[in-house]
Amino acid sequence: MRPVKHTYLWLLAAFVFSVIYLFPLYWMYITAIKSPSEIFASPPTFWPNDPDLSIYPDVWEAREVPRYMWNSLVIAFGATGLTVVFGTGCAYVLARYRNIWVDVGLFLVLMLQVLPASVMVTPLFVGFNQIGLLGWPRTAVVLGVAAKSMPFFVVLVRAAFMTIPRELEEAGLVDGNSRIGAFIWIVLPMARNAILVCALLIFMQAFGEYIYSASIIQDQKLAPASVGLKTFLGPNSKDWNAIMAYSAMYVTPILAIFILLQRRIVAGLTAGALK
Amino acid sequence: MQIEILNLDKHYGAYHALRDVTVQIPKGQFVALVGPSGCGKSTLLRSIAGLETITSGTLKIEGEIVNDLPPRKRDVAMVFQSYALYPHMSVAENMTYSLRIQGVSKADALKRAREVAEVTGLTDLLDRRPRDLSGGQRQRVAMGRAIVREPKAFLFDEPLSNLDAALRVHMRTEVRALHDRLGATSVYVTHDQIEAMTMADHVVVMRQGVIEQQGAPMELYDRPANKFVAGFIGSPAMNFVDGKIGEDGHSVTLALPNTPVIPLSRKAEAGRNVTVGMRPEHLSLDANDGQIEVAIRSVESTGSMAYYTTRTDPELMLVEQGRNRFRTGDTARLRIAPENVQLFDRKTDIAI
Repeated sequence: MRPVKHTYLWLLAAFVFSVIYLFPLYWMYITAIKSPSEIFASPPTFWPNDPDLSIYPDVWEAREVPRYMWNSLVIAFGATGLTVVFGTGCAYVLARYRNIWVDVGLFLVLMLQVLPASVMVTPLFVGFNQIGLLGWPRTAVVLGVAAKSMPFFVVLVRAAFMTIPRELEEAGLVDGNSRIGAFIWIVLPMARNAILVCALLIFMQAFGEYIYSASIIQDQKLAPASVGLKTFLGPNSKDWNAIMAYSAMYVTPILAIFILLQRRIVAGLTAGALK
Repeated sequence: MQIEILNLDKHYGAYHALRDVTVQIPKGQFVALVGPSGCGKSTLLRSIAGLETITSGTLKIEGEIVNDLPPRKRDVAMVFQSYALYPHMSVAENMTYSLRIQGVSKADALKRAREVAEVTGLTDLLDRRPRDLSGGQRQRVAMGRAIVREPKAFLFDEPLSNLDAALRVHMRTEVRALHDRLGATSVYVTHDQIEAMTMADHVVVMRQGVIEQQGAPMELYDRPANKFVAGFIGSPAMNFVDGKIGEDGHSVTLALPNTPVIPLSRKAEAGRNVTVGMRPEHLSLDANDGQIEVAIRSVESTGSMAYYTTRTDPELMLVEQGRNRFRTGDTARLRIAPENVQLFDRKTDIAI
C-alpha cells in the first residue's frame, strides 16, 4: 500500500476514536439543555428539540456552585502549591546526588504512588484526627492530596533536572552564584516547562479530587464541587439535566485550560524523552 | 605568584586523585596541564576553580589562601569543554551574567560585553540564543563570557576539543594571542600534547594524579625526566629500543638486528640495562651510510614531510623533510645521531 493511503487510514482511525472518546462529553453538554422528558426519549435525540439554556443560571444559584467551586479551587491551588514547592526541591536533590540512599528514597517514593487513595484515606483520617487537623478539613485534604501527587511530580521533574548538564550549574558557580543562586537562576528556568506541566496536571487532578474530600470534610460549606455533585444523588433523583449542567460547569474550566495549554503539555512531557 | 598550588592532595574515597601536586604560576603565564585521560588534570583545574574540595595542601590565588572559599569568591573564570552556555539567555545576557550578579548596572555590563564582542568577533551575534550558533561561535561566546569579567585567572577545560581540526588549529593561535593581549594568567587543560607544546609557556605533564615533569615546552622535549614524558611529548612519538651500556661506559649496544653500537658523549654505568629513546627526526635513512641495514615497512608522505616505519623489532618511526626518497619494501642504511640519544633506566624508566 502506498504511504499516502496509510495516512488517510490513520486519520480516519483517529477520527473514529476521537468521536468515541468525546461522545460522553458531548452527551453531557446536550443532556443539560434537554427537557426532562426528552432525556428519556427513545430513540434518543442527538440534538435537543427545544434547547433550554436557563438550566445553567438556575443550577448555579440553587446548587451554590460558586461556593463549591471556590472550595475546589482552594484545595487544588493548595495541593499544587505544596507539591511544587517541596517536590521541586526533592526532585533536584534526587537528580543531583547518586548513592544508595537516593535509590532507596526513590523506591519509597514510587511505592507511595502504588497505594490507592481509598486505602490511604482511613489511616489519614485517624492520623489527622489525632493531631486535631480535622478542625481544618480543607487543609487536611490539601495535605493528603499533595502527599498523593508528590511521587508523580517528583519522578517526572527529577527526569527533567537530570537532562540539565551539571556543567551549566558549575559555570553559574564560577560566574559568581551561590549554590542556591545557581539553582534558582540557571536550573529552575531550564526546568520551568516540565515543572509547569506537572503542576498543571496535578492541579487538574486535585480540582477533581473526591475520595479525601468526601471522607474528611464533614461540613458541606467547605466541600469541593466533586462532593457537591453527590448532593444530587438521592433515592428518587431524576434531575438529570441539572446534574449534567452542574458537571458541565465543573468540567469546562479544566477542559479550557487543557485545550489552551495542550501543545505545551505535550511538549513538556516529551522534552526529556526526545533528547 | 598569581596561582600557587602547594603539596595538593585530593582523595575520592579510597581513590587518590591528586598526589602532592605543586605548581607555581606567575602572573601572565600560560600554563598547560596535559596528560592521558584520568590523569587528574581536570580535577586539578576544578580544584583551582573551587568546584572540587581539596583533601590537603594549600591553594593560593594572588597570595590569598582560597582552600575553603566557594567558587564565586575566587574570581576566576572558566571555559568548559561543552562551553556550558546558558541556553535560556541570549549571547549578551550570557556574557553579562557574572557582571550583573556582581551588581554592575545593566548598561555598564552591556557596554563591557560590546567591547569584548568587538575583540572576539561576536558583535553581530549578541541577540542570538546559544542554540542558534555554530560550534565555533559558541566557543567564542564561552571565551567572551570569561573575558568580560577580567578575572584573576582563566581556567580552560579542553575548550577546543569539540571543534573540527582546522578550526582547532586556528583557535590555538587565537586563544594564545588573546591571552597575551589581555596580560592574563591562564591554566589550560588538554589531552593534546601539541596544543600544550604550541600554546603554553609552562607545561605540566601529569599521570595518575602525579606530576611527572613540568617546565618549558622545549625543555620537556629535549630533556624528558622519564620515559613516560619522553613518549608523551612529541609527535610522532619517540622510539624506544632496549640497550646495554658497553664495558667502557661510553657506548650503548642496541637490541636491533646486527646489534649496532652507539657512542655516548657522557659516561654511564658499564653493563647497565637501559631503554634508549630516539626521536623520529634524529634517525635518518641513507643508501650507503649508516649503522644498520633496515627494510622499510611503510611510507607516508605529506609532501613536506615523509614518515617511514621499519621492518624491525621494535618498529622504528622516522621523519624526514621533503619528499620520500624510499618506498615500501626498499632497504636502506639507518643512521642514528648519537648526540640526541636519550637513556632511561630499564626498571625505573627514569632518565639517566
